[in-house]
Amino acid sequence: MLQFIQFATVRAAMALFTLLMVSLIVFSLMELVPGNCAERYLAFKNTQGSAITVADIAAEERRLGLDRPFLVRWGSWVGNVFTKGEFGDSCILRLNINELLGDKFLISAIICLTALAFAYAIAIPVGIIAASSQSALLNGTLRFVSYLGLAMPNFLLALIIMLISTVMFGDSLTGLFSNEYRDAPWSWDKVLDFLSRAWLPVFILGWSATAFALQTVRALMLDENDKLYVTAARARGLHGRRLLWRYPARHALGPIVNSLGFDLNRIFNELPIVALILTLTESGALLLESLARSNDQQLAGAIIFLLTATIVGLNFLTDVGLAALDPRIRRSVMGA
Amino acid sequence: MSVADQPDMAPETPDDASEQRRKEAYFTASQRQLIWARFRRNKTAMAAGIVLLCLVLVGLFAPFLSPYDPTIAGRNKDYTNGAPQVPKFCDDAGCSMRPFIYGVKRERSIQTNFRWVTTIDTEDRRYVQWFVRGDDYRLFFVKSDLHLFGVDDGKIHLFGTDDTGKDIFSRTLHAIYTSLAVGTLGVFISFVLALIIGGVAGYFGGVIDGILQMITDAVRTIPAIPLFMAIAAFLPPEMSSESRFFFISIILGLIGWPTLARRVRTHLLVERNQEYVLAAQLQGAGAGHVIGRHLLPSFTSYIIVDLVISFPYMVLSETALSFIGLGLKDPVNSLGVMLQNTTSADVLLNYQWYFIPVFFFIALVMAFVFVGDGLRDAADPYGGQKR
Repeated sequence: MLQFIQFATVRAAMALFTLLMVSLIVFSLMELVPGNCAERYLAFKNTQGSAITVADIAAEERRLGLDRPFLVRWGSWVGNVFTKGEFGDSCILRLNINELLGDKFLISAIICLTALAFAYAIAIPVGIIAASSQSALLNGTLRFVSYLGLAMPNFLLALIIMLISTVMFGDSLTGLFSNEYRDAPWSWDKVLDFLSRAWLPVFILGWSATAFALQTVRALMLDENDKLYVTAARARGLHGRRLLWRYPARHALGPIVNSLGFDLNRIFNELPIVALILTLTESGALLLESLARSNDQQLAGAIIFLLTATIVGLNFLTDVGLAALDPRIRRSVMGA
Repeated sequence: MSVADQPDMAPETPDDASEQRRKEAYFTASQRQLIWARFRRNKTAMAAGIVLLCLVLVGLFAPFLSPYDPTIAGRNKDYTNGAPQVPKFCDDAGCSMRPFIYGVKRERSIQTNFRWVTTIDTEDRRYVQWFVRGDDYRLFFVKSDLHLFGVDDGKIHLFGTDDTGKDIFSRTLHAIYTSLAVGTLGVFISFVLALIIGGVAGYFGGVIDGILQMITDAVRTIPAIPLFMAIAAFLPPEMSSESRFFFISIILGLIGWPTLARRVRTHLLVERNQEYVLAAQLQGAGAGHVIGRHLLPSFTSYIIVDLVISFPYMVLSETALSFIGLGLKDPVNSLGVMLQNTTSADVLLNYQWYFIPVFFFIALVMAFVFVGDGLRDAADPYGGQKR
């Protein structure tokens, strides 16, 4: 138990450190944009007719705390994020970022995690069956499907589905809510409406993740299948599903669970693009808008940071979960 | 020492001799020859390799193979949003050895309710000609205006035209070239970065390795496309298309390095304790020399395989970036640029030929993935035949 607590603490510290590194990268990116908030505020005033001077800009910088050194500003940004969960204001939209994001980030996270669950729900059984089956046809088909999943980016899949559904049904299946629910407060009907439309983004986002996961599961199972302990179990008369689930599948479980984080990363990658095509109204679309249209670095930074934090969080959870299941992992504190 | 050096194993019969030679060739083969021999046995990978080679050649010779200039200069203003024209050999009026297409007329009058209506004039045959003179282009520093094919009168559009009348076939061929160029440049940059970072981390180990690993891991955790978007958003919109092209490649390279860097590092951590490294160090070789001259050549083939595998992801990332409008822009042709305006209902319902280039890109990416996989299997001496 002590070992487990030690393991969990070290892992938590490592996750925190990664988050700090990520926040530094994100914050530097935000700072690289030409022009800071003070200049933007005053440029806006300028359009309203009042003349501005260099001294005005300097005063505004002092008011916003922009005259402090880079590392100090990073420290205060990170401090606010970690202690209060506060991302500050967006200086283009002049709104609090937390209010802007609201439940949009939650919706994105739910869609992505569902897509991830969907991917693994398919990949694990199919991958195990493919690895233990001798059928060339099945293996060939699976190989082709998963390569197609790798080669066809999700946005092409989304475009093709839209193309087909527009030609066949005359509805392009876009958006997350029907018109009557778009701005309505959350209610049971709204949830149902959401579910009736969310399956498409979930399917599209899960598509390439499924292909990747399928490859991983199959390769791991193939590796395990050749090991001596499996042969020994087979010699003792075990066969079929009993053999598969009790021996090789258990061993392959660790690396599979570890690959969850990378697959979530992959899904997040596709999020903004799929959001653009299906005209979703969640944080992926917001990220796209903040970058492509208004160059709003505060908002973009907050979203990228939140996405990464979700991945780091998931990695931490899978690590701790695995350690709880498998005592061998606890011993290697720094991990493999 | 080769097998033939031992006198008691000298060949006795001609059959044995050829067997002997075969074995000898196997034992003395270089790493590259072994990989090639294994790769050649993989039929899927070979087929993919041939497809890939064709696509690369098509991309390289795009200006010659495409009938028209892919930019606005080569547009056909009388045939905007035009449907693909498939050459035929026969029609009601008989057959001809030379394929032909029909001329079209566009008119807008009170009869057509003031909308543009395209009518195909089956009387007006236009024959396909080989090696016609057309728009000027530059191919490997040679100026020319010779194109592989064209028609004797008017223009031919195999894949139709887009809303400004640019030929989609010509654009597709040029887009293949762009994708290959962006991918090559991006892979090259990430390769150099990976060699430096992975090389330093693996060679020195210890604290330096620990810190570099932390950074690598942090970069790897951030979702790449949102990060691409954030960096690409800095590029000023008034930037010229050529410098934009270079910057996008650099960005792709800057983000693509961690996977390869990890591979280089792991390998160096194992290799740096070998005796040949110690020998080089004892003779006073510096770190850079040992890494560059002794360590890296020991696994060049693996690096090449990794580069081929990472190539399609570069191409896909570029496409995604351009698609959302943060990557390449007109007049540069890339798949992402070409697909930018296809999400509108108008295109989806009426102009489906906008999607023809997609198939070429799926083929390109698939070919790369298959070749990369084949190479990886071939480069792994313990891979065996189990898959």
